[in-house]
Amino acid sequence: MNEKGQYKNRIELLQGTLDMLILQTLQWGPQHGYGIVHALRLQTGDVLQVETGSLYPALHRLERQGWVQSEWKQSESKQKARYYRITAKGKKQLARDLGRWERIVEAIGSVMYVKPKESES
Amino acid sequence: MKWFSNFGFQRRNRELQEEIDAHLQMAIADRVARGEAEETARQAAAREFGNILLVQDVTRQMWGGGWFEQLGRDVRYALRQLRKSPAFTITATAMLAVAICANSTVFSWIDGTMLRPIPGARDTGDLVSLQRGERNFSPTPPFSYLDYRDLREQNHTFGGILAYHHDWITLTGGARPERAYIANVSANYFDVLGIKPVLGRFFLAEEETRPAIPNVVLSYSLWKTRYAEDPAIVGKSIEIARHPLTVIGVAPEGVVGAMPGLRDDLWVTLDPLGTDPWRMTHRSGGAVWLNVIGRLRPGVSRGQAAQDLDTVMHNIVAAYPNDHLGANQITLDPMWRSPFGANGYMAATLPVLLAFAAVVLLLTCANVATLTLVRFVSRRRELAIRQSLGANRMQLVWQMVLEGMVLSIVAGAMALGLTSWTSKTFAWFFRASSSPTTLNGSMDHNVVIGIAVFSLLAGMLCGALPAWRSSHAPAIEVLKAESASISGGSRNRKLLSWLVVAQVALSLPLLLCSGLLLRTLRNLARANPGFEQDHILTATVGLNIAGYSHDEVQLIRHKILDRVSALPGVKVASLTDWIPMTLGHKGEDAYPEGYVPHPHESLQVYHAEVAPRYFESLHIPILEGREFTPEDDEKAPRVLIVDQTAARRYWPGQETLGKNLRIWGRRFTVVGVARNSTHMFVNESPEPMVYMSFFQEGYETIVQVETEGNPVDLAPAVENAIHEIDTRLPVFDVRPMRESTQLASSFAVIQSALAGMFALIGLVLAVTGIYGVVAYRTQMRTHEIGVRMALGASRVDVLRLVLSQGVWLTGVGLALGLAFALGLTRLIARLLYGIGANDPVTVASVVTLLGAMSLVACYLPAHRAMRRNPVTAIREL
Repeated sequence: MNEKGQYKNRIELLQGTLDMLILQTLQWGPQHGYGIVHALRLQTGDVLQVETGSLYPALHRLERQGWVQSEWKQSESKQKARYYRITAKGKKQLARDLGRWERIVEAIGSVMYVKPKESES
Repeated sequence: MKWFSNFGFQRRNRELQEEIDAHLQMAIADRVARGEAEETARQAAAREFGNILLVQDVTRQMWGGGWFEQLGRDVRYALRQLRKSPAFTITATAMLAVAICANSTVFSWIDGTMLRPIPGARDTGDLVSLQRGERNFSPTPPFSYLDYRDLREQNHTFGGILAYHHDWITLTGGARPERAYIANVSANYFDVLGIKPVLGRFFLAEEETRPAIPNVVLSYSLWKTRYAEDPAIVGKSIEIARHPLTVIGVAPEGVVGAMPGLRDDLWVTLDPLGTDPWRMTHRSGGAVWLNVIGRLRPGVSRGQAAQDLDTVMHNIVAAYPNDHLGANQITLDPMWRSPFGANGYMAATLPVLLAFAAVVLLLTCANVATLTLVRFVSRRRELAIRQSLGANRMQLVWQMVLEGMVLSIVAGAMALGLTSWTSKTFAWFFRASSSPTTLNGSMDHNVVIGIAVFSLLAGMLCGALPAWRSSHAPAIEVLKAESASISGGSRNRKLLSWLVVAQVALSLPLLLCSGLLLRTLRNLARANPGFEQDHILTATVGLNIAGYSHDEVQLIRHKILDRVSALPGVKVASLTDWIPMTLGHKGEDAYPEGYVPHPHESLQVYHAEVAPRYFESLHIPILEGREFTPEDDEKAPRVLIVDQTAARRYWPGQETLGKNLRIWGRRFTVVGVARNSTHMFVNESPEPMVYMSFFQEGYETIVQVETEGNPVDLAPAVENAIHEIDTRLPVFDVRPMRESTQLASSFAVIQSALAGMFALIGLVLAVTGIYGVVAYRTQMRTHEIGVRMALGASRVDVLRLVLSQGVWLTGVGLALGLAFALGLTRLIARLLYGIGANDPVTVASVVTLLGAMSLVACYLPAHRAMRRNPVTAIREL
């Protein structure tokens, strides 16, 4: 498969879900920006591609809101990188986001998968 | 806090760059690991990342702007808010400016005097002044040259020890003789102080003891005024007291010598003319004449140094016991409170004044905080809306603190301008006298830093406290409560009450202290010093310093006495060499025969040399024996008149007349006992005083006349009479006794003037504070009052309602203030005279005054509320 075709198969992220995905990814442990992109791509089988142009602003915004904290550390490959770690506040936020997400999915699902009523006549 | 984390904008930018670099590096490394060529991997990673600059820019926006831009926005917002209420802004700024100025003025005086004890000297913090024997508030020079030399050479704790003797002399050679202040100094004087000459050199070690090396160092100002900054002055000969001396150097500008607060114009070695070998070769008997200052070695504490010197002194005393009767322990003082010079007095006065000023600042902050709170309460809707729009509490508090800061910074700037003038007003308190006082405030970086600190402190206090309170209320509640709220919520009401209480409580001690100090001043002025002050004129004749021979001097003295006595309008004329209550005295060790001193008892007595009819002219009664007569001259046996204190101490219950006393190794016989009179201060503890005959021991020549009319009128005639004898005779300090003795109360004047000023500020602030709060609350309750009146409440009920809260606040404030005040007055107890620190009359009148003023402040709004028409009041919401 060439690169162009691959790109076409990706889905644009729904507004507001990036924060949730980042926080969810950080649940498994501190990670740097590249690692987050990598993890999301692996877990979604290349379906979700996070734009770096959204990722870094999002990370910095999350940090300012106190949902993540960052720290400079050496990676396994001896690369100095900025690692983000989810905070207690972030975990609460993640729970709220998840709840909201589930309600949306349920709501959308109830529209999309409703069995057509049998007509009375 | 937000502004704090925004601080490192540069650092964050750099970190973002590094973060992106790391991202790219890892992407490249992954691709290389998958088998791509390095170059293609690099290009692919960069393409995948996208526009780096754009990413950086968007990310930066997430930081909420640079802290500087943010601050600029916040400041602009604060300014806009302040512009909306100009009355508040102007009042608050003016009050803060005055309060900060009060503090910075006193601080500039401390800075100019205590903190710069020796202008031009290096590291004055390492300098200590040495005192021997009992600690004394206004000691005479404590060391002989030989003792000083032994201390200097045998100690292990000093980098250097200098000695000096401050005196005055006449500069002759010009058209008219001019008075100059001179110091005899040890050769290492300038070295120890760390001062380098601007021209020529200072003294060499070998010049110290070798007699008759007539070298002189000029001060910069003398070089400038009398010698027109002659660049070739070094090596020239100038005439001092009719002796030629060679100028060897000029001291740098601003250097005025080692005695704090007093000026030297010239410096010479200890015995420049070789005319006084006695003082260089003896340890007592007129040879105790030097003030000594040492520079501690680095790391040596004052206590260690004192112990070291005590050991040396102990050995000296053991070797020369007869020269060191009485107490000899050494005490060291840092220069800021050195008892020699002015700083002893400064240290007793200025810190107390600074404490008063600090109370004024606190009081002002409480007042401004009250105003701010009232303002924020009326702004609480705006604040609630901002909060519900997402501003967090910290941001709101920051915004309000910033408003307080803006106010106090503007006030600080105004205070800076004011202080540059008020700092120089310190000199006003010191009248012209025979002392070369150089006391004044200084306006240097210390003061500017001080002002900055005072302003920041004030800004925090004014802004943060009400802000924190105001922003505490949950947004929804405030919005809901808005329509129903009557006086801004119980929380704010409580804080407002406490602020008023604080203002009353803080102003009471100010009023009490100033009341006590003012009454002290009145008591001092009314006190009877034991001698006549009115109708007395004194004039100093610079005789011995003008270079006449001893016989000439004695002859001229007699001529002066004859001529001045014959002047019309002169009742009695006499001569003396000391004027009482002029911050100076002469002291000498005296050994009364037949008296056994207690261990460590100081044998020092005050002494003055006075001519016949001295006691008559000052109306001091001679209780036993006789006054001096013209026959008590150098050919006659030495005689003394002692005062009651001396008589009682040395010969209690015995016949005093005919007793003997040894001073300077000479034997004096008591021929009279004079009644006690004041020597230095009205509130001094009496020290023994001995009077010697002027024509036997007189040194300086001061003409003292009792006049029939106003002494000032006789001044020209007296001066003429002296000049008729010899036109070159220098005459100085012709002034009425009353004017000279006012020197003794200079410090009482400073204390009471400033305390009075501060108290007035305090009173105005407290009263306006109470008025403001009661008026504001009454206004808030207009509706309620209207309802009450409509329901049948009488006007008296309304009056009582409004007054009661004001009275309650005042009462609590007065009670707290009284407790505070009674604690504080103990601090000034030492400064009081003729009145106790808790004087009930002063306490009662101050409490009454403050209470009455507060009541008036409460009554005005109450009166207004009472007269409102209930119908319009109800309509008003």
